[in-house]
Amino acid sequence: MRRGGGALILAVLLAVLLCACVGPVRSFEVYEGKAATTAESVASAAQTARLAAGEAADARAFAPYLSIVLSEVERDAGGSEDVFGAIQPPDGRSAELRTQLLALIDRVTAVLADLRIAARNGELGRLEDIAAPLGELGEQLARFVEAHA
Amino acid sequence: MAGRTEGLAGGQSGGRSGDQSGGHRGGRTIDAGLRLLDRQLIDVDGMLAGKVDDLELTMPAEGAPYVTAILAGPGSLSRRVGGRLGAKIEALHRRLHPSEAPGPASVSWGVVTDVGSSIRLSVGKASLPVDTLEQWTREHIIDRIPGSDRAPD
Amino acid sequence: MKRFTEITLGILTAIGGFVDIGDLVANAETGARFRMGLAWAVVVGVVGIVVYAEMAGRVAAVSGRPVFDLVRERLGARVALANLLASFFINFLTLAAEIAGVALALELASSVNYLLWIPLVAALVWLVLWRGSFVPMERVFGLLGLALVVFGVALWHLHPEGLLASAMHPGPPTNESWGTYLFFAVALFGATMTPYEVFFFSSGAVEERWTRRDLNVERANVLIGFPLGGALSLLLMGTTATVLAPRGITVEHLSQVGLPVALALGKVGLAVLLVGIFAATFGAALETALSGGYTVSQYFGWQWGKFVRPNKAPRFHLVVLLATGLGGLLMLTAVDPIKVTEYSIVLAAAALPLTYFPILIVANDRDYLGDRVNGRVTNAIATVYLGLLVVVATATIPLMIMTKGGA
Repeated sequence: MRRGGGALILAVLLAVLLCACVGPVRSFEVYEGKAATTAESVASAAQTARLAAGEAADARAFAPYLSIVLSEVERDAGGSEDVFGAIQPPDGRSAELRTQLLALIDRVTAVLADLRIAARNGELGRLEDIAAPLGELGEQLARFVEAHA
Repeated sequence: MAGRTEGLAGGQSGGRSGDQSGGHRGGRTIDAGLRLLDRQLIDVDGMLAGKVDDLELTMPAEGAPYVTAILAGPGSLSRRVGGRLGAKIEALHRRLHPSEAPGPASVSWGVVTDVGSSIRLSVGKASLPVDTLEQWTREHIIDRIPGSDRAPD
Repeated sequence: MKRFTEITLGILTAIGGFVDIGDLVANAETGARFRMGLAWAVVVGVVGIVVYAEMAGRVAAVSGRPVFDLVRERLGARVALANLLASFFINFLTLAAEIAGVALALELASSVNYLLWIPLVAALVWLVLWRGSFVPMERVFGLLGLALVVFGVALWHLHPEGLLASAMHPGPPTNESWGTYLFFAVALFGATMTPYEVFFFSSGAVEERWTRRDLNVERANVLIGFPLGGALSLLLMGTTATVLAPRGITVEHLSQVGLPVALALGKVGLAVLLVGIFAATFGAALETALSGGYTVSQYFGWQWGKFVRPNKAPRFHLVVLLATGLGGLLMLTAVDPIKVTEYSIVLAAAALPLTYFPILIVANDRDYLGDRVNGRVTNAIATVYLGLLVVVATATIPLMIMTKGGA
């Protein structure tokens, strides 16, 4: 423990680097796993937005708070999409999966963008309507995760 | 009496506290490693004046070695700690110290009045060389901020 | 009567001051992913910190010196330096995270970007530390932090079901691995037993001039205040377990922590929550900045403390100033505050044995404590915990790598 100070720092740095790396994906199974994780995180963003929109409708939260919640999850979904989109699909099956998932995510991020814009304009009453598609999209994402996790 | 003086960087215990001005007034024999090293120095006003980072021992031609001074400050701490870390402390100390070639700051054993859970001194810390960096920080940084001499409630 | 008020205030301060950004993030995330399946980790962590904080407070009250001050005397310059470096680095990350936490709370209230708040927050933290008196400072933020009781009120209104069952059945749910489960347990230990709290408590005891006669106050603060503070953490975990977990929402932002409270209590609840988060993180920023100053000064033997004029403790105040400023600068790089928080608690977990072991040693030393050294029971519990902490610390880095940081 005592002399381990330097070793500890090295171990920590190594761990940080290992966590941050996304190596090349060589098999469909691994790619599928990454697709599922991406779908999960986009689903989380979508559900957060739905919850926030519901709270807006019931006037349970104020505008500054809601616009931040919505911008943050929009950024999250966009970020997940970018990270996943940048991974080279290893084979034809993976490419199809990619197309399918990205199309789904695009629809989610479109709704999230609309929500963010409406919230920033203070149009809290409209949020629930704008968020309506997220119910169905959320279910599609959940089915995707189940199929590929 | 002739003898070598050296620091305790090697880490040994055993040493006699005695009067530096010659002639032992029946000094105590204590385990210097246990009772002196790394202890807090407290000055005559009760202010904290650093820790005992090292000790200067005099080795007489006959008899046991005795402590002639306390060494405090990064100059002496660097040697206790040793290794790369110690070298870094040493380098930092050289950079920050106002004087050219600072050595370890030494506190003569003569000003020590009590050796208990902390080491009490008979002088104020301002008169000690260990306080140099403290005073520098006070003058150049802290005193420039308004309210630095405000009494605590 | 005065004594009673003192004790009550101390307890209340401890409750409100217990939760910081690390607890907020760790408990919220865990509730959303594992419901109450890791509640036991919080309980275990609270017992641990109660035992060790009581020791650290006792050392300060009886010997007049904070426990960290004595680490160097007992364990030597080298070991104490290793302890200092580990503690200070983790402390610094925590301080940066707390500053960001305050800025995030302000962002949620104002929708002004948190990065713009950071310089103001860092400056304010430093100013309060420069000008404020110790006791009032502690009281104000501790009491305001009690606003976090809103988690309990919210949970009550949510009519949760199955929480107790979830708590009684430890283990990961079907869609999570044991690795991730244990990693989150480690994170919860790190968040609950954060070393700065113990060192701060000990130095704070000296700042408040506690003596032997205050031992009962000290014990009450720790034995009642900390567990109730831990209860607040569990209530938070309960709210995210009830509202976020069923929806598959994982907590990536502080803003999501407010959704359950808003759902249950509306705008008023949300407003109270933001006040609570502000107070908890601001108070914790003050404490971590001071802890940084305390630990460095106490290692080198410099004059420290808010109980002397600032120019009597120049290097102490310089450390506090630099730590706060650099902490703010770190967060201005727009690094994700949640990530910084997660790293600070995980690293704290990895360093727990190094930071806790010296406390046990010092608390058994008759030179400092006389007849108030640890009893056999305390030593037994403390030693068991130390063993646990070694296990936790050894497992931390491997788990972090294995689970890619709990992804």
